[in-house]
Amino acid sequence: MKVTILPAREIREAAAADVGQLLKELKLHQDAYLVIRSDQILTRDVQLKSTDEVEIWPVISGGQG
Amino acid sequence: MRCIRCKAPANVEVRRHRSAFCSGCYPGWFRNQVQRAIESEGMFGRDDKVLVAISGGKDSLALWHALLQLGYQADGMYIRLGIGNYSQHSQSASERFAAKHGLALHQVDLKEEYGFVVPQLRNQREGKPCAACGTVKRYHFNKVAVDLGYDVVATGHNLDDEAATLFGNVIHWQTDFLGRQGPVLASTHPKLARKVKPLFRLAERDTAAYAVIERIDYILEECPMAVGAKSLEYKDLLNALEERQPGLKQRFLVGFLRGGRKALAGRQEPALIRECRECGQPTTGEVCSYCRMRQRKRRQVESRMAARGS
Ligand code: SF4
Ligand SMILES: [Zn+2]
Ligand SMILES: [Zn+2]
Repeated sequence: MKVTILPAREIREAAAADVGQLLKELKLHQDAYLVIRSDQILTRDVQLKSTDEVEIWPVISGGQG
Repeated sequence: MRCIRCKAPANVEVRRHRSAFCSGCYPGWFRNQVQRAIESEGMFGRDDKVLVAISGGKDSLALWHALLQLGYQADGMYIRLGIGNYSQHSQSASERFAAKHGLALHQVDLKEEYGFVVPQLRNQREGKPCAACGTVKRYHFNKVAVDLGYDVVATGHNLDDEAATLFGNVIHWQTDFLGRQGPVLASTHPKLARKVKPLFRLAERDTAAYAVIERIDYILEECPMAVGAKSLEYKDLLNALEERQPGLKQRFLVGFLRGGRKALAGRQEPALIRECRECGQPTTGEVCSYCRMRQRKRRQVESRMAARGS
């Protein structure tokens, strides 16, 4: 499947069977990202197909403020 | 996974609460959490005028949105920090949100009104202006709130922010900071606004999910000065632990607030607050940290000019 990682919109290919495994495959922490497909946020048990296109949104902000 | 409210397919899992919600039920759960934090900590009431510190990011806009939906009187305040493109984008996101909902957004422009921008405040040793930027924000949010008669300043600090700050303060044993860290900072002087953090029990992922579902147009872009910040390292570390021990961040923070903080706070003398000799704002010293910081910068500029001239 095609994975777009925000904010830089970096494109990756991935083969994971579900959302939890996708984050593991990309070595990303579950609590630091949202995985979105067709405008819907997906929980980690959602099955993914090779034809899917998903976006990964980071949720962690930095600095002091 | 199914929504625990309506059994539809879930969109957002909140692992530390062992629950999950569909997009329809999630915003209600989120606002309910905010409401409970406000009530249980006695933050403010419906008659109070709240000033929300806005950065254009997900947390501050989600907070503003939730407060309005809950029926509170909340206006926004934005500080133009002068950090290149990031500031431009965050300012327009904040203005768009205010315009869309017909809300008041007060603004302070550091360059226009005070003749400096945040990148000039870089600390020589760390190369970052974040400590000074924090002083600038606290100073102006407080001043505007008091000058315009707001009862309380609300910031979008979430569970991850608070847990990372706590972690940093523990690692460095900053006992004076630890004694003061909490979701409510009471006013101890007529010129000192009360400060509250209504999102302190919601994770960063929870606020992002709320912003996405409520279609809040926030900026994903980060302040360029945040790159390599210690707080980001702490968050990453805590999220690695959270993955294996769901609920760890919340237990760390809530446990501290219930038990640890009292032990530390009791040992401190309440600081005597007076008015700054230069600007009249409340401070514990003769001159407030904001004025001292600006004096230091002025001296640096003068000595650089003198060196060039000779
Ligand atoms: S990252 Fe640092 S400089 Fe940027 S807004 Fe936050 S505190 Fe200010
Ligand atoms: Zn539901
Ligand atoms: Zn001063």
